[in-house]
Amino acid sequence: MTTPENQKPLNNLFILIALAVVFCLVPLVTQEAYFLHICILALLFGALASSWNLINGYAGIFTFGHQAFFGLGAYGSALMSMRLGLSPWLTMWAAGLMSAALGLVISLPVLRIRSIPHIAIVTLAFAEIVRIVCSNLTDFTRGELGLWGIPPFTSFLLPLVGDVTFDAAHKVAYFYVVILLWLLIVGATYWILRSRFGFGLRAIRDSQIAAESLGVHLTRYKTLVFGFSSFLAGILGAFYAHYVLILTPSSALGIDIMIQIVAMTLIGGIGRLLGPTIGAFILTLGLEWLRGFGEYRMLIYGVLLVLIVMFLPKGLASMRLGFLRRQTTGKIPT
Amino acid sequence: MSMISNPLLETKNVGKTFGGVIALKDVSFSVSEGEILGLIGPNGAGKTTLFHVIAGKEQPTSGTIEFRGRGITALRPDQRCHLGVARTFQIPQPFSQMTVFENVMVALHFGAGVHARSLEDEATDILSRVGLNRWASEESVSLPLGARKKLELARALATRPTLLLLDEVMGGLRPNEITEIMETIRQVRASGVTIIMIEHVMRAVMGLADRIIVLHHGELIAEGSPAEITRNEAVIEAYLGGSAHVSA
Ligand SMILES: Nc1ncnc2c1ncn2[C@@H]1O[C@H](COP(=O)(O)OP(=O)(O)O)[C@@H](O)[C@H]1O
Ligand SMILES: [Mg+2]
Repeated sequence: MTTPENQKPLNNLFILIALAVVFCLVPLVTQEAYFLHICILALLFGALASSWNLINGYAGIFTFGHQAFFGLGAYGSALMSMRLGLSPWLTMWAAGLMSAALGLVISLPVLRIRSIPHIAIVTLAFAEIVRIVCSNLTDFTRGELGLWGIPPFTSFLLPLVGDVTFDAAHKVAYFYVVILLWLLIVGATYWILRSRFGFGLRAIRDSQIAAESLGVHLTRYKTLVFGFSSFLAGILGAFYAHYVLILTPSSALGIDIMIQIVAMTLIGGIGRLLGPTIGAFILTLGLEWLRGFGEYRMLIYGVLLVLIVMFLPKGLASMRLGFLRRQTTGKIPT
Repeated sequence: MSMISNPLLETKNVGKTFGGVIALKDVSFSVSEGEILGLIGPNGAGKTTLFHVIAGKEQPTSGTIEFRGRGITALRPDQRCHLGVARTFQIPQPFSQMTVFENVMVALHFGAGVHARSLEDEATDILSRVGLNRWASEESVSLPLGARKKLELARALATRPTLLLLDEVMGGLRPNEITEIMETIRQVRASGVTIIMIEHVMRAVMGLADRIIVLHHGELIAEGSPAEITRNEAVIEAYLGGSAHVSA
């Protein structure tokens, strides 16, 4: 099957693997805790924005409540490991499944709506309900006081490497876990795009009425991608919980998370495999770098965002592709 | 004649209202296998709505639709597509971020329900039948209107239909292109496909259709051969001074 995304399939896969290798080499150069912390957040948000890109960038369904699935995964995994004494290595998958289940349940009413603004507002309202419920279930979640005492990932012994320990002072292990999660999620996106499933999603994005008239089962495709994307968000939420070790309704379920996801995806390139990751690094590292500008920091940041969105509406990832396309035009896809 | 043989498609007392607007009222007609049925009527008559109801994009407010003797009123559009009902859209709906070739591949993969390497040859073949092969690798967003109409036809053909609903596919085409597409439609019918065509280009519908039905204010007001329709008083009245169009 021929798709613009995979006319250069090796290209994308190659860049993905090369990036993962580069990330893996970082701790050999520096293990400075603050730098690693920034990189961990960038990769975490890159993966989270990639999971949202699956629904929005490829299936064309603009949801604004992705934080609900992230937060549910975070609280779910934290509470399961605390109350049931289970290893976070287990509870993170269970939390992902919980998020997927919630995603499937709410997708049924939401995906019947075809108007983009309505879907956005309904999913946002849903996420706000989840946040408010979380902050009021004080017996369970401690509400606005925050849930603390979350166990970090269980340490283990890796042959050849030795003890792999997870605590605040040992960010290296977390760094490698988040690289793995990021690679799994972006890799899954890559694989989905090349599959029949991804082809159907792209058809739905471009025209739902044409897609269904040509035999695409809209509800099945939209529900599946919604559930899968919620699953990925839930796992990332769980990682976040066992990394920061304290959760509040606004830090894990707040609308800020969604705004970050949208900004990163738009800046990096919506519907581009590596767009969300590029956006996540630019925003996370850029904000740190701008600290040098003191009080002008947020102003410069805002202006840069506006400029990028205005002059590169397809995102930073489109620059390179636009350049390469010049050499490939005229070729008939086979 | 066509009423006696088993109809491929039959609508029974189909009605459709949008709020207060009556788009279709008590529409009953049938198409026989292998037939080309013309569907004409002034703008706003309800022709496109009738296609929506047959293909499942809209649910009728009343009445039923039968395909091969089986009620399909409750089926989704994709299910009707899999049964063999394909349609084009009057306002083209290309998958704009895909190439023309990929647009056809979507229909082959999901509509015809087959997935093999050989599909690529079939897609190429369909594109050349509608005269779009030189556009194959263009992103469909860059197509002019005429080519978009042809792409609608190509995708519908790629679902391997038994019943093809064509909603003004000639609109925006040049005279020589109209002649080409008329030839394509003849070939499609010769391959065993039944066709209902909504068309304002009278040369095309009069030249192709075996039988014509006329819709006016949501109601069927006439049925007959092209020659009969051009002489029908009610039809000429419906077009109100547009009789030149009908007899063209
Ligand atoms: N989705 C809709 N909502 C409200 N009114 C509609 C809708 N679709 C069609 N109509 C109305 O139904 C009537 C028939 O429209 P249509 O089927 O498009 O006519 P035609 O294809 O014959 O030009 C028109 O009055 C139109 O305004
Ligand atoms: Mg119409």
